[in-house]
Amino acid sequence: MKLRAPAVTFLNARPLTAGLVDSPRIDLVLAEPSTCASMLEAGDVDLALLPVGALPGRDWEIVPGLAIGADGPVETVVLAGEEPPEAWEEVFLDTASRTSQILAQLLLRERGLTPRFTHMPALEGLSRAVGPRGALVIGDRAFGVKKKVVLDLGREWNRLTRLPMVFAVWAARPGVLAPEDVQELVRGAQVGLGMRTELAQQYARETGGDPEHYRRYLTQRIRYGLGPHELEGMEAFLSRAADAGLAPRATLRFADDVVRSRRIRRLVSVDTALQKGADGERLDADEAEALDEKAPLLELGLAADLRRRALHPEGVVTYIVSRNVNYTNVCTTACSFCAFYRPRSHGEAYVLDRGQMARKIEETLALGGIEILLQGGLHPDLHLEWYEDLFRWVKSTYPAINLHALSPEEIWHIARTSQLPLDATIERLVAAGLDSIPGGGAEVLDDEVRRRIAPLKCSTDEWLTVMRAAHRKGLRSTATLMFGVGEEARHRVNHLVRLRELQDETGGFTAFICWTFQPENTRLDPSDNSAHAYLRVNALSRLVLDNVPNLQASWVTMGGGVAQASLHMGANDFGSVMIEENVVSAAGTTFQMDAEEVERHIRDAGFEPARRNMRYERVGSAA
Amino acid sequence: MLSPLAHRALERDGLGPIRDKVLAGERLSEAEAVALFEARDLPALGALANHVRERRHGDLTFYNRNVHLNPTNVCVATCKFCSFARPDDKHASEGYTMSLDQAVHHVLSKRELGITEVHIVSGLHPDLPWDYYVETVRRIRQAWPELHIKGYTAVELHFFAEKFGKTLEQVLRELIDAGLTTIPGGGAEIFASRVRRKICDDKATAEQWLEVHRTAHRLGLKSNATMLYGHIETLAERVDHMARLRALQDETGGFQVFIPLAFHPEHNMIGKAFPKPTGYDGLRTYAVSRLFLDNFDHVKAYWISLGERLAQASLSFGVDDVDGTVLEERIYHMAGATTPQALSEAQLHRMIRFAGRVPAERDSLYNVLRVHDGPAAVSAAGGAR
Repeated sequence: MKLRAPAVTFLNARPLTAGLVDSPRIDLVLAEPSTCASMLEAGDVDLALLPVGALPGRDWEIVPGLAIGADGPVETVVLAGEEPPEAWEEVFLDTASRTSQILAQLLLRERGLTPRFTHMPALEGLSRAVGPRGALVIGDRAFGVKKKVVLDLGREWNRLTRLPMVFAVWAARPGVLAPEDVQELVRGAQVGLGMRTELAQQYARETGGDPEHYRRYLTQRIRYGLGPHELEGMEAFLSRAADAGLAPRATLRFADDVVRSRRIRRLVSVDTALQKGADGERLDADEAEALDEKAPLLELGLAADLRRRALHPEGVVTYIVSRNVNYTNVCTTACSFCAFYRPRSHGEAYVLDRGQMARKIEETLALGGIEILLQGGLHPDLHLEWYEDLFRWVKSTYPAINLHALSPEEIWHIARTSQLPLDATIERLVAAGLDSIPGGGAEVLDDEVRRRIAPLKCSTDEWLTVMRAAHRKGLRSTATLMFGVGEEARHRVNHLVRLRELQDETGGFTAFICWTFQPENTRLDPSDNSAHAYLRVNALSRLVLDNVPNLQASWVTMGGGVAQASLHMGANDFGSVMIEENVVSAAGTTFQMDAEEVERHIRDAGFEPARRNMRYERVGSAA
Repeated sequence: MLSPLAHRALERDGLGPIRDKVLAGERLSEAEAVALFEARDLPALGALANHVRERRHGDLTFYNRNVHLNPTNVCVATCKFCSFARPDDKHASEGYTMSLDQAVHHVLSKRELGITEVHIVSGLHPDLPWDYYVETVRRIRQAWPELHIKGYTAVELHFFAEKFGKTLEQVLRELIDAGLTTIPGGGAEIFASRVRRKICDDKATAEQWLEVHRTAHRLGLKSNATMLYGHIETLAERVDHMARLRALQDETGGFQVFIPLAFHPEHNMIGKAFPKPTGYDGLRTYAVSRLFLDNFDHVKAYWISLGERLAQASLSFGVDDVDGTVLEERIYHMAGATTPQALSEAQLHRMIRFAGRVPAERDSLYNVLRVHDGPAAVSAAGGAR
C-alpha cells in the first residue's frame, strides 16, 4: 500500500515533491505547512514535510539527509512593519508555520524585545502592521513584501548563530517507513532538484513574478541537504526554543534505512579462499566476504603479498608528484562524513580564482610536479562552460601538466546542471583538456550505505555509469573506497565486485586506493576505521581486484609506517607526494611527506622508489 | 599453528631453519636475529613472531592505567638524542624542578582517576639532595598505600650511588624501604660502547646499567628493559643489546618486559642527521625481539612514541602490551611526538579489540586485574579480525 504524504504548496517544497508525482510508493496530497502536523497526528497521512518547530514532544522519525533550510537570507520568512522592531508593541504571527513563530519570538527576544504576540492570518496581519505593530509573514506571500522595515529571519538567525536554519524536514509516524520509502524520497529529491529551473518557470506562470528570481531562490537561497552543519543549526534552534520555554525539549529520531536483505551465502572455507586468492584465482563474492569477516590480518597480507609479487616482481614502488587543488569547497550534498564542504553563504566558502590557481600550479611545477588533481564540491552555479574555460586556460598556460580532474560525482553534477547528456559533457571536458579522472566520491559503492551517509550523492549505478562513459572515451581513472562508515563486510565486497565487473568491461582503472573514514569535524560516528582494518581491506582488495594493476598505499590517512606495512601486503604504489591536501586534513588527519621522505619510506621497507605519471609509466629520475 | 601461507613465504625467503628452531622452542643465535632483521618480508616475519606471541598469551593484550611523574628535566648528562634535558632550571632554558610538595601533589591529584601506577623518571639533577628522591617515594607511599611506584631508571640509580657515596644496594634498599616497587627500563639506549661514546658518553655504561638491574633483581625487585633504536646503531648492535639483556635474564629472571623505543629527532643534537625511524623498522624490531628474547614474557609497544595506528598494527607483530593510559607524558612530547597526552581506557580497548585481541588490564607486576572479554567487547570488535 502506498504511503500518504501532504505536500505543501510553497515554492520551496516543490523540489522535494515534484519528483514524487508518479511515485509507486507515495501518494501526495497538497496542504498548508501548519496543517501537516495535525494531519500526521490524526493519522490522515503517514509522513509529512513537517516544520521543525512541530518536532518537539513527538516521536516522529526524521528522514535522513533531506531538509528545507537556508544558510543566510531566506526571503520567505520575514518580520515586516512600517517602524523598526524596537517600536513594535504587538506582532501578528502568521498561523502557517510553528517554526517561524518560534524563530520570530527568539530573534526578537535576542534584541531584548518582548512585544505582545497575536495569532492572525498573514494577509490580515500584514495589512495591520503599521505604527507600533509588526507582522510575521512566511511562505510565498513574503515574496516582495512592501513594507519600510523587513527583517529576513534566515539572515538574522545566521548572524546570531553562524549556523544554517532548518525550517522543515520529512518526518513520519514511527515504524511506517520502509527503507525503500526513504530511498524513494531521496530519489524524488534528486529528480526534483534537477528540475528547479522548470519549477521556477512553472511557478511564475501560476502566480506571476520573475522566473529568474524564483530560480535563484530555489538554487541559492534554499538548501535541501541535511548534513552536519544543518543538523547543528537545527539542534541549536530546538535547544534555544526549549531554553526560552517556547517548545518542549526535543530528542531527534531518524528513520533507520538499512535494508536487511542479504543474499543467500554459501558456506566458504577461509583457508581455501585464501589459497585461491594467493594463487591468483578469481574470488567470488561469498569467498571475499568470508575473508573480510574471518581471515586474520597476516594471512590476508601473506596472500596479497604473493599477488603483488606476481604482478610487480621487480620490487619497485612507484609514486607521483602532484598537487590536490580543490577549486571550491561549496557543496550541496552535505555528506555526513565530510568536514571540508561549506554552504555557499558561509564565511569560509570559496571558489579559487585564476591567480590562486596559477600560483598553486607554478609551485607544483617548481617542486617537480607533473599533475594537478583538481576536485571540488558540487557548486550550484558552476556550469560546463566554467570548467571548459578553466581547463583550456590550464592546458594552454601549463601544457606539461596532467589534468587529473573531476570525480564522477562532479561530472554527473555538471551534466545535470548544464542539462547535457553525459557523453556530450565528457566529450566537451576532454576537448577542453581533461586528461584523466580521479576515483573519488565512490565512498562505499552500495546504495544501502550511500543513502545513509550521502543521500544527495549520485547512486552506485550513476557513479559507475560515469566511469564507464569516461573509459569508453579513452580516459583512464583510478577507483577508491572509503570505509569505516558503519558498513558491513558485504557492502565492502559489493563495492569491490562492482569495480571488478566494470574493469572487466572497460579496463579503464589504472589503480585502486582505499582508506578509512576520518571522523574529526564531521557528524558521522566511525565504525572500525583502525589501521588494522585498513591493512586487512587493502590486502583483501589486492585479492579481489585481480584485474586492476596497481594498488596505492594511503599514507596520507594512515601515516608512513602503516603505509609501509601495506607495501608488504598488496600495495605497490605510494600514491602522491602531497603538496597540498585539504579534505582529509579538514577531518583531523595531517600526515606530511616530501619526495625525499616518501623515498626513504619506500627504501626502508625494502623497495626501490620510482616516479611515475598517472598512467603508471615511469618518468624522470627519483629524488 | 603456523599457516600454510606462512610456511610457504618463510621457505621462499630461506628462513626455514629459523622457523624450525622457533617452532621447536630453540634459542636463536645473534646471526639468525640479524638475518630476520634483513629478511624484508614483513608478513612472514610477523607470522612467526605472532605465533610465539599467541603461544604465550593467546589474544590477551595488556595495558595499565598509569601517570607519569617527571620531577625535573635538569640533567648533568648531555645525551645527544635527548630533547627533554636542560642544563639548569632557569626560566630561559625551560628547565624546571618540582618542589617535593609539587611532585607528590602531581601524583596524589590523580587519585580519582583509577590509576594503579606512577612511573617516575627525572634528569640527573646536580643539586637535589638524596632525601628528595626518597621522600618523593615515601610520601606517595604513605598517602596512597596501594599505588604501585615504579621509579628511577638504572642511570638515575647509578648516579645516586656515585653522588651520595652509597653502594647500589644501599640506594635500592633505602628506596625499597620508602615504598619503591619496581624500576623502569629506561636509560639502556644501545649497549654497544661505540654507540654510547657517541650519543651518551657521560652517563652509566652498559655494564653499570646491567649491574643496577642485577642488584635490583637480587633484592627482589622486578624491572623492565628498553632499547632506543633508529639512530646511529647498526642492526648487529641492536641484536647485541638484546643478547646482553637475554644473558642477564638467564641469570636473574627479573625482567618483565622488553620495550623498543623509537628515536625521536626533534629538538635534539642528532635529529638533523638522523630522521625518525620508519614504522616498518619499528614493526620488524618488535617481531625480531619477540623471537630472539625467548626468556622475556612481554614485548611492549609504547604508543606515545609510535602513534596509535602503528601501535595497533604492532599487535600482529609480536607485541602483547601497549603500555597504559599515560597521563602527562613529557619526554617524548618534547621530542616532537604528536600523539595525544593520554588515551582513555575506552580508546585503548577500541584499539585492541579492533585488532582482534582481548584487552586485559594489568598491574605493574603483570598480574591481570580484569579481562575485558564480555559481550560488549565482542560486538564492538565486530568482524574486525
